[in-house]
Amino acid sequence: MTTPAIDTTALTRRFGDFTAVDHVNLRVDAGQFFGFLGPNGAGKSTTIKMLTGLLAPTSGSIRILGEDLQARSAEIKRQIGVVPEGMALFGRLTAGEYLQFVGRMYGLDRVTTLNRTRELLEFMQLAGEQTKLITDFSHGMQKKLAMAAAVIHGPKVLFLDEPFEGVDAVAAGTLKAMLQRMIARGATIFLTSHVLEIVERLCTHVAIIHRGQLVAQGALDELRAGARRAGQAGIEVGATPPEAEKRSLEQIFLEIVGTDREGNPGAAAPEQELSWLS
Amino acid sequence: MAELTGREGVADALPPIAASTQLLAVAWLRWRIFLNNAFRRQPKNKRQIAGLVFAILLRMVVWPILALMMVGPVVGSGFLAWLAISGGRPQSLAGLLLGITLLWQFVSINGLSIAATIQSFDPASLVRFPLRFGRYFVLRSLLGLLTPSTVVGSLALLAAALGIGIADASLALPALAAMAIYALMNIYLTRMIGAWMERWLANRRFREIFSMIMGLSFAAIQFMNLQRSPMYAHGARGALFLSAMHSSGPFVYWLPPGFAAQTILLAKHPLAAFGQFAALLASAGLCAAVFAIRLKKQFLGEHLSEGASRSVSSQAAPRVRVPALKSATRSAPAAAGAAFSPTVAACLRKDWIILRNSGTQLIGMMTPLLLVAIFSMSRGFSASLAGYFLPAAIAYTLIGVLGPLYNVFGADGRGAQLYLLAPIRLRDVVVAKNLMSLAIIAVEAGIAWTVVCTLSRAPVPVSAQASTALWAVFVVALNLAIGTLRSIQAPRYFVPGQARHPRAGTPTNRTSALLVLAVLFGSMLMQVPVAIASSYFELPWLAAWIYLPLAAAAVFAYALVLRNAEQLILEHRDVFAEELCKA
Repeated sequence: MTTPAIDTTALTRRFGDFTAVDHVNLRVDAGQFFGFLGPNGAGKSTTIKMLTGLLAPTSGSIRILGEDLQARSAEIKRQIGVVPEGMALFGRLTAGEYLQFVGRMYGLDRVTTLNRTRELLEFMQLAGEQTKLITDFSHGMQKKLAMAAAVIHGPKVLFLDEPFEGVDAVAAGTLKAMLQRMIARGATIFLTSHVLEIVERLCTHVAIIHRGQLVAQGALDELRAGARRAGQAGIEVGATPPEAEKRSLEQIFLEIVGTDREGNPGAAAPEQELSWLS
Repeated sequence: MAELTGREGVADALPPIAASTQLLAVAWLRWRIFLNNAFRRQPKNKRQIAGLVFAILLRMVVWPILALMMVGPVVGSGFLAWLAISGGRPQSLAGLLLGITLLWQFVSINGLSIAATIQSFDPASLVRFPLRFGRYFVLRSLLGLLTPSTVVGSLALLAAALGIGIADASLALPALAAMAIYALMNIYLTRMIGAWMERWLANRRFREIFSMIMGLSFAAIQFMNLQRSPMYAHGARGALFLSAMHSSGPFVYWLPPGFAAQTILLAKHPLAAFGQFAALLASAGLCAAVFAIRLKKQFLGEHLSEGASRSVSSQAAPRVRVPALKSATRSAPAAAGAAFSPTVAACLRKDWIILRNSGTQLIGMMTPLLLVAIFSMSRGFSASLAGYFLPAAIAYTLIGVLGPLYNVFGADGRGAQLYLLAPIRLRDVVVAKNLMSLAIIAVEAGIAWTVVCTLSRAPVPVSAQASTALWAVFVVALNLAIGTLRSIQAPRYFVPGQARHPRAGTPTNRTSALLVLAVLFGSMLMQVPVAIASSYFELPWLAAWIYLPLAAAAVFAYALVLRNAEQLILEHRDVFAEELCKA
């Protein structure tokens, strides 16, 4: 059995009385393009923050590349790249300066850092913006830069929190090309996104989190056909069903998360009509 | 599209990263941020060039004053240390060191919001990089060494060591060693207080309690000051300070200032001196350790924000129902029939709700009033001074409330977009904002006025009251005019109560803050020749006659700005989007 790239056991995070992530058991094998889905406030960003060491779990364990994150955080951080939700760029630097700083922080030598900075800026079509401060960048440009910074050290696992949010089609194409290259070279990608079409097109495996609990996890093909309705927690999808039964990821997602607290489908829709809009 | 080379980044066994690489990278980062802040401003039009030139001129005036304020404690420390040794009062050395520490820490705590305007990155964000805790600790210890309080405090201790060395050359080396460790202890004490305060201030309730404690501390200090030295005679105050220094020696004997002082004074008894030095080292180590405990939690991924509790309430909140929307629409005609237009009424209601929920702001408004009350009760203000005290009290009260006029859209952040999108007159929004500010000013000034007139030991002459009222109208209207222009031309997003947010620290930008002070102090200084002339010519109403046309002119200027507010905002839509909506 191979060592999973990401492995969590009963991962839990509470904020006071509120449980944002509740006993999540995630397993992502090396080389997978993994989509982590869930409605707003489901616990996606909290999970990703815990997986990247930015937020301490209340209980449970996290192993990245077979190593305990708590015990070997510095070593693991060298092997992962992160595009966090807020991107966390240093606005008063230029793109080149920022990439050079990140490269040096990850221990790259000066020449390698400069070479990769130049290559990444060209690849991301940011080479023409050398004198501009990051704070003056558009949202899409900042996303591309954050992605460049996340891969400059060649990480084995890449965590992306909503990488395509607010990004135009051209920039999205560039980002996707970058991600495909990462997968081709054997990296693992853990991605959260609200754009289910993108997840469907890119990811091989998905997990769905709802109200802090993992409600589905498995290969996308299996998930499409497997679970009839997954209102209850912890569905692991098994055998691949016939091709004819395949459904879109959006259908599966809505079936699973479009439920009320009792698990009735479709009850999440507004109870009353907005008569004044008709 | 360019090609990316190589697969060398996915090496299995990675060599360790040298500490120097990461430390130098962070030093380089700070240097680049400093350079970019200082030199990479590219004004895009004539107005921005004019603004930049004005800002530079303003700094040329203010910075020498600040430099003098920094030189004072350094020279004073050196002199007092020399005096303590050569004047035969060595026990007062501990008091001096205690004074330096208190001033250092006081300035540090109060400088958090100022530092937020200069800092452009949060050192805590470094935890995402592959750093070991030891390196993170070193980095956090080094970052911030060039803050004014640390520089002045360290220089003051160095000056004290020099003063001691000049007074008695045999004490020079122990003094230097003791001061170096004492400076280190102060540096870690500052960081320890800062880190723990950051933890506590993340809680809104604690922020309110802290504001109250700080306000009461100010009031208590002023009260004690007045009780001991009612007329602020410098000689009396100096004697009081020297006496406090002298008498505090025994009390601080068991504290770090005492350890540092004893290390120097017992230099002729090496064993005793070494014991004191060890105690000093231990106190520095204790501060570093307590700082490290907090830092470790941060390093492991601590959650400080109050966002979680909001999540709880949002989960628990019932689903939004249509009747709620209906009641909102029902209230609109009622508002229209009121004294203000629906837009003004809606904006006023919104700002009132925000103010009502901001305990920190309300407590901040109470503090100057408390101080005015203390001053009013003072024995020092005789009948002859009562006429001068009223305008001084009103000016003092206004200092705190005029600032927000210069950035009325700042706290709205992205919400400011709504003003541009909604089918409303933008001038109404400005009017509503200014009305809210005026209401606060009126309440503050009104209470201060009543307090002075009620508690003052002599009646305030009617002529003084009239001139003060006209002067206040002049100052407020002038600040409204300039503030409205600045609010439109240079808005700055800020989060009330979150002083350490890297981009959202202070309510106004530095130029606006300097402008507030320049206008206020300029108009206060103007009172001096007016008062002298009034007294010389024995014309008590002269001041009122001078301020009347000035007040009228300022009101006219404000009306003019208000008339053009709509057009000004539309012209500055890009600035709004840049500064507020990208927040």
